[in-house]
Amino acid sequence: MGSAELLQYVIAGLKSGAIYALVALGFTLVYGSTGVINFAQGEFFMLGGMLSVFFYQMDLPLPVAGAAGVACTALIGVAFERIALRPRRDSGPLVLIIITIGGSMVLKSLARHAFGPNEATLPEFTAGPSLDFAGAAIERQTLWVWGLTLVAVLALTWLYRKTRFGRSMQACSLSHDAARLMGIDTARVVMVSFGLAAALGALAGLAVTPLTQTSWDVGAGAGLKGFAAAILGGLGNPVAAVAGGLLLGLLESLSIAFVSSTYKDAISLVVLLLVLFFRPQGLFGRARKEKV
Amino acid sequence: MSARASQIGVRALLTVVALVALAAPLLSGDRYLLKVLVFVGLNVIVIAGLALLFGYAGQISLGHAGFVGIGAYGSAYLVGSVGVPWLVGVAAATALAATGGLLLALPSLRLKGHYLAMATLGFNEIMYVVFREARAITGGNDGLGGIPFPEVAGFSIDTPAGVYLLVWGVTLVVVLLVANIVRGRPGRTMRALHGTEIGTLACGVDVVRLKVRVFALSAALAGLSGALYAHAVGFVSPATFSLEHSVAMVAIVVVGGTGSLAGPLLAAIGLTLLPYADALIPGLSKETVALMQDWEADIYGIAMIAVIVFAPAGIGGLLKRWRRVPGGGEAA
Amino acid sequence: MSLLTVSGLTKRFGGLVAVDDVSFVVYEGSIKAVIGPNGAGKSTLFNLITGFERADSGTVSFADGHLARRKPHEIVRAGVARTFQNTQLFEELTGLENVLVGMETSLRAGFVRSALRIGVRAEERAASARAMHLLRLVGIEQWAATPAADIPHGVRRSLEVARALATRPRLLLLDEPAAGLNATETAELARALYRIRDEGVTIVVVEHDMGLVMEVSEEIVVLDQGRKIAEGPPLLIQKDAAVIEAYLGEEVTGDEY
Repeated sequence: MGSAELLQYVIAGLKSGAIYALVALGFTLVYGSTGVINFAQGEFFMLGGMLSVFFYQMDLPLPVAGAAGVACTALIGVAFERIALRPRRDSGPLVLIIITIGGSMVLKSLARHAFGPNEATLPEFTAGPSLDFAGAAIERQTLWVWGLTLVAVLALTWLYRKTRFGRSMQACSLSHDAARLMGIDTARVVMVSFGLAAALGALAGLAVTPLTQTSWDVGAGAGLKGFAAAILGGLGNPVAAVAGGLLLGLLESLSIAFVSSTYKDAISLVVLLLVLFFRPQGLFGRARKEKV
Repeated sequence: MSARASQIGVRALLTVVALVALAAPLLSGDRYLLKVLVFVGLNVIVIAGLALLFGYAGQISLGHAGFVGIGAYGSAYLVGSVGVPWLVGVAAATALAATGGLLLALPSLRLKGHYLAMATLGFNEIMYVVFREARAITGGNDGLGGIPFPEVAGFSIDTPAGVYLLVWGVTLVVVLLVANIVRGRPGRTMRALHGTEIGTLACGVDVVRLKVRVFALSAALAGLSGALYAHAVGFVSPATFSLEHSVAMVAIVVVGGTGSLAGPLLAAIGLTLLPYADALIPGLSKETVALMQDWEADIYGIAMIAVIVFAPAGIGGLLKRWRRVPGGGEAA
Repeated sequence: MSLLTVSGLTKRFGGLVAVDDVSFVVYEGSIKAVIGPNGAGKSTLFNLITGFERADSGTVSFADGHLARRKPHEIVRAGVARTFQNTQLFEELTGLENVLVGMETSLRAGFVRSALRIGVRAEERAASARAMHLLRLVGIEQWAATPAADIPHGVRRSLEVARALATRPRLLLLDEPAAGLNATETAELARALYRIRDEGVTIVVVEHDMGLVMEVSEEIVVLDQGRKIAEGPPLLIQKDAAVIEAYLGEEVTGDEY
């Protein structure tokens, strides 16, 4: 395989990797502030694409439609947390998992009713030919994907490190009780975490729609891969989530190159199971000694 | 009502229900109704197993449709393509599903809560890929057709009434066995496990072994249901064993209520009948039926959330309150 | 004869040494107490002996075998039972059912036998009879049909003791059985402990209630910050300078009882 061809596969891997990273960040955010895996995260990805298409088809300019799609999804995330999760926030993780599973079912089927069963797409954010890079082609939309992911990661880092709210989020991820004793409004932190997670998922869905189309049922697949990426890096650590996403994307892409394209989707599943069985804390997490 | 009278009353009621169920083909010759009721029976078998695993032992599985698929494709292939006798095929397919459950359970049951859910979800997705890609055995996305009818002692069971009696015969036996398990020591130990795992360990219970066995048993029941399904319908395709079906099964157990067997079984019957309500209510318009089928997933999801948020004990909880006897009644 | 020999048991949590080279012997048929200020490592010691935590070093010999680094359910089956500081009762099960779960080690009906109802009724009847005997032994038989969630605090700890006894232990480890009990209930607990000992069960009890400790125990081990600082009969422990200093200001006499 020539170096240009290999580079092409790497670029493809980093492209999907960036998408996985955004979804994985959503998982990590919610897990960090609530200790719960949000099974509905994939549906936020779906809603980002579908709602943006909806607004675009109402003749709104593309940037406005996209922003509206992401914002709406964020609001849906917040609403879901307030309506379905907050009443039972003191229940064990099993109950909360079930609620998020139910939420994903509802969001998915409501999307089918609202938007129909067909695929939809958006035009590329900037039209034009692919760019040449050392013999490989990079689509302009791919640059948008990377750009948006970078902006999201930087914004999140700034939020975490430089703002008071970000420090509250960090405190919550260590201990809700301690945070409450410090006067932090944990309920608000949880709510905002959901909104941000939904926004990140939606951003990923929006960014990738011009490349792969979107429809009402893309949520489960994206959610699964995003979760595999988050687990691969190590849940609870935003940097690990991004690293996990990029790594997973590369693994998938290189498996197409060197193994077979048929089982591409199985790669993330195999990675998921291997990590869960042999190193549940992920590549960068610390092993948590389970007290029998 | 004294505890003893309540017990006799329940037993009498269940016997009546069982007799009615078996007599249904005589009461109604409607092929559509019989076919729908066959689906109900098949679902009851799966849900009985999942109620044990999730409702009693508290272990979540989002992969049980995968085990149904193993049973379905396994029996279809063994009996249809290889030519194995029907009973052997079904038994082998059930054993295959149980083995799959065992292999998945051993590494997974060390994981807690959401990690276990994800591992079983991953399993379902992998099985879905296998069902789609292993064309030689499964026929791929196009599915596998021409699956032979059940054949017992040389007799081919090829009428709707015959298939119905076969399936419901198995269903009633399964329900009886599972009810006995729940009533007896394993049920009590599982309820204990659901309460506190540390306390259960302190009683000398090998918790890991218990979880693995319950998982394998529930996988076996799912596989059995799948095998029967394949021969009852004659055609299987990967779509029947997708993740959504696994999630729907969990939804049924949630609505039915954890810690109860009757609740999930009633929920299984009710929710399975919902999109086919026109079989029971002849006057139902086509539009209403189409509407219910269209909103099936929404109903499942909303019912699940509503139950968990507002009535966590589910249907089973309602049943227990209705049956409660002063001075402490019997365990459900 | 010695039933339990703990030797050099050590457990670290990160930089903190919770149990530091602790050794002692428990003689069969005796009642021994483990006392010490809060954070002395008493519960961790129990966790190490019963398999809920893994020791970093040291051995635990019990009867003819070794316990260290074995799984909790194996240790129970070897004959060592325990109760917990935070009672781990099965809230949805009745008092009787809680004790019945404790009989797991001796009941035969598994999945197959239960499903087919072979020999189940007779076994359950015998088990229930024994469970009622244990509830009576601890003095709480009137709570047999009540769900554990509805059982009052003072009775809950006794229920956990009855459940632990159901496992037919030779050695019973009780973690603060008198916590939250009033004087009458504590006296009843002491009588229960004697009845248990008379049934042939060796007892080790972690306790803060000094009156109870001085009354029932034949020997006392004192821990402070993970280390054993004294061991001996109650009268000597009361006067031990190191013990008094460890408690610093606490009265270590039996007079309140």
